Amino acid sequence: MTDRALTFVAKLKALFVQRRADSAFEEEMRTHLEMLAEKYEREGMRAKEAARAARRQFGNTTLLKQRQRESRTTMFFANVWRDVRYGARQLAKTPVFTIVCVLTLALGVGANTAVFSVMHAVLMKMLPVEDASRVFYLHTTGYPDGVSQTGDSNTSFSYPIYRALREQSGLQEVMAFIPMSSSGKAPVRVGTVPEEAAGDMVSGNYFRGLGVGTEMGRGFVQKDEDDHTPVAVISERFWASHFDRSRDAIGKTLYIKSIPFTIVGVAIKGFEGTEGRLALDFWMPLQSRPEFNAWGNPAENGMYLTKQNFWCMKLMVRTASGVSREQAMARAQAVFDQAAYTGVRQKRAGDKTYQISFMDAKQFDSQDDSFARALKTLMAMVCLVLLIAMSNVVMLLMARNASRQREFSVRLALGTGRREMTRQLLTESVLLVALGGIAAWAFALGATHALGSWAQIESNLQPDGTVLWFTLSVLFLLALVFGLAPLRAAMSSGPEMVLRSSATVSQSSSQKMRAGNAVIVTQIAICVVLLVGAGLLLGTLRNLLNTPLGQKPEGLLVFGVHPQHAHTKEESVAFFVALQQRLRTIPGVESVSMAANRPGSGWSSNNAGVLVDGHKPNGVEPEQAIFRGNAVGADYFRTMGVQVLQGRDFSDADSPSAPKTAIVNETFAKKYIGSLNAVGHIFSDPKGADPSLIIGVVKDHKYTSITEEARPMLWTVFTQGGAVNQLNVEMRVPGDPMAMLPTVRKVITQIDPDMPLLEPMSQSAVFEQSISQQALFARLAGCFGVLAVVLIATGLYGTLAYRVSRRSAEIGVRMALGAQRSQVVWMVLRGSLLLCAVGVVLGVPLAMAAGKSLESSLYGMKSLDAASYVFAIAGVALVALLASAVPAGRAANVNPTSALRME
Amino acid sequence: MAADKSEVLQGTLDLMILKTLQALGPLHGFGIARRIEQLSEDVLTLNEGTVYTSLLRLQQKSWIASEWGVSENNRRARFYSITKRGMKQLVVETENWERIAAVIGRVLALEAKA
Repeated sequence: MTDRALTFVAKLKALFVQRRADSAFEEEMRTHLEMLAEKYEREGMRAKEAARAARRQFGNTTLLKQRQRESRTTMFFANVWRDVRYGARQLAKTPVFTIVCVLTLALGVGANTAVFSVMHAVLMKMLPVEDASRVFYLHTTGYPDGVSQTGDSNTSFSYPIYRALREQSGLQEVMAFIPMSSSGKAPVRVGTVPEEAAGDMVSGNYFRGLGVGTEMGRGFVQKDEDDHTPVAVISERFWASHFDRSRDAIGKTLYIKSIPFTIVGVAIKGFEGTEGRLALDFWMPLQSRPEFNAWGNPAENGMYLTKQNFWCMKLMVRTASGVSREQAMARAQAVFDQAAYTGVRQKRAGDKTYQISFMDAKQFDSQDDSFARALKTLMAMVCLVLLIAMSNVVMLLMARNASRQREFSVRLALGTGRREMTRQLLTESVLLVALGGIAAWAFALGATHALGSWAQIESNLQPDGTVLWFTLSVLFLLALVFGLAPLRAAMSSGPEMVLRSSATVSQSSSQKMRAGNAVIVTQIAICVVLLVGAGLLLGTLRNLLNTPLGQKPEGLLVFGVHPQHAHTKEESVAFFVALQQRLRTIPGVESVSMAANRPGSGWSSNNAGVLVDGHKPNGVEPEQAIFRGNAVGADYFRTMGVQVLQGRDFSDADSPSAPKTAIVNETFAKKYIGSLNAVGHIFSDPKGADPSLIIGVVKDHKYTSITEEARPMLWTVFTQGGAVNQLNVEMRVPGDPMAMLPTVRKVITQIDPDMPLLEPMSQSAVFEQSISQQALFARLAGCFGVLAVVLIATGLYGTLAYRVSRRSAEIGVRMALGAQRSQVVWMVLRGSLLLCAVGVVLGVPLAMAAGKSLESSLYGMKSLDAASYVFAIAGVALVALLASAVPAGRAANVNPTSALRME
Repeated sequence: MAADKSEVLQGTLDLMILKTLQALGPLHGFGIARRIEQLSEDVLTLNEGTVYTSLLRLQQKSWIASEWGVSENNRRARFYSITKRGMKQLVVETENWERIAAVIGRVLALEAKA
């Protein structure tokens, strides 16, 4: 064994000194020949004769040189190169086959890579932090009564809890981070153009605690938090896009909400914050200025640093080394139990205990199960597609190798070793897989990008090392399957095969036929599953798109406005009233209104507690009477295109000094008043305070999203409510709403150059976005269904065409014996329809099982939707018929005489 | 003439070269060929070129080593010498050969009696 290893090493070494070894050996040979000739001369030969005798005695020098060269180094590379060249020639000879195989592979593997890379990034990837196994997101199961809470209920904590955990829990680090606003973004300005950027306000130990370095400059220190220093760290991406990676960026000023911040550092490349799908552009230490209250809340309602029951901070922890997750969690829980009741009523016996938990420091601290489920379903679908693609290519390869049997047997007869043939066929497969793999990777890069933007994930999803490994192992597996599966067909041909007539060859073994049939049946079954799934999801999408919204979002432009210099309630109301007046004067604008929560964005104010005319609302306990609310501006319902059933819309007359008014929807009126005649009733909170006169009833319409059920709703006018720090402007314009945007921007810049338009878009787009996840899911499923059908069509066509061509002799005999054309056509069609029927029978139960697991993703559809099944079965049957039509036609056109003469 | 000469058995050339090098010390290819010719007393046919194939094989297994030197008549030549590994291998190969030769001798003797 070691001898062999030594030999191999020697050969490898020799590779690099090829030329030198050659000339050295030549010299050695020459010397030998000369010495031999001299010896013969000494023995009495003449010089010429001696030289000839020496050459004879020595043997063939050229051959020896060649042998020497061959055994001196390994021939492995030369052989591989020869095989690759031969394989490439073979593939180039059958371009259609090659293109079909490569495309099939590219789609199958590419779709897998893309979905896997999104799934990996969303569900598995850890934050790029140091020793991530000791870093956790902090979650809680709930919060005590009396807490004022922002953001997600399970990730928000108060400032006192943050302090207590830092000081008492024994955790190595407790990092806090707070988004700038509910969208995560804030108005910023680097040069002259105001824009929106995503940022967090973080604790001083944020970068150090996470173990995230900087490209240059520094991260924050504790002093930054204590002094609320106006400094900022920007992301590498922001640095590249706004400062062109210039080293001068440090010390430059970044205006955030019009306040100047000095840039002190650039975070390390790849770190995009801890906000999951939102990639952050900047970080600042915890601030105390009123502009920077948590989540952009009005400072009037209390600053996060001082209002003890304001739960608004997200927390991450790093456990001390040597302390287990459970131990650390138990200690933190004890601290939390105390600190949670700071600023609210103390815990009483019988109150629920709120549990905190440590969640892994993944890139996405996502509790969004539906997205995870959708991704897993997609992954399953693309796996099925890959399975179909793979079996297709295997069948194509087998068919191709079988039709090359003559070539193989000729080569065997001429003395090719079986081992060499195997190596050669493997090389061809590897070549095919390599080509497919390259195409797949290119396809995956594009597809991942598209997937990310459809799913509205701004953070980086591009395939990384892990994904590359995944793809490479899939490809390796494919190469193995493609190399080995068709080998048998090729190898079964002995050298004697050449001598046999093709008629005998055409009696291809029934075993091989059965294997092919099994593959086709499986493919059809999988196809049925995919098509049923696609049908169900597309039906869901159709239902979503056709759901009446109860309003006219077309022709509406919506954008958020956040006044920078209005700090009190009066200032902000005055600002927005003036803004509304100013926007109305833009030529072409039909009407302008405003809303605190943008309809269709998913945000809503949820309230409970109703008294109508001072009484229980229609027999419901006042505390139990829940409703959704929104604060809007004058002309709101006219602008939105919602029908007012009774009474009137809000108007400019509903000013801060006028009596308070409210408008309700049908459901509210019916549920809490008992009839649609709600106008004139007085609505108030359970204590009877804050009464408002109901002045109108509007038709039920969608508020948070397309899928919501009708719920009791109540609108108030913002001029009569509390402080407003941000409103969404709704503008009805003729034609394309986005065309109005430049004009609006100009008007807004005149009012305040530091005030960007927040998320400007058409109102239709807002509603579309509310179903974008479902739409994405359905469209992808549809794509995969179509892809599966196309693959199956090519596979079935290929197999049948191949079989017919092999049976042409048999068909010729049949026709010579009097078989009609129609009989021959039917013979071929019957075969494929039979396979199709078996596939459907097997596929339907599978589809039912798959549909069951899809149920939670459906809207207005049952998992046993008959139409989807009919569509799937009809689709498969149609494909089977189409794929077999051409081969059947070819079979019918077999000319008996020429078919028989071929023998 | 060809009829009374025997082909060199596969693998035996390696053994002969090893033994030659062990007995005579460092030699060049020509010297090895002469020595084998001398010992075989013209019984073996040998294309002298094949000696080099064998030498390469032995060298790759690190049983022999080579270095350039000057021959007795002042020519640049490559001198081969046996290594420690080669010495060990020679013992093993010699035993092997003797065993096989003995077996074959016994078998042939049997036939003669019958």
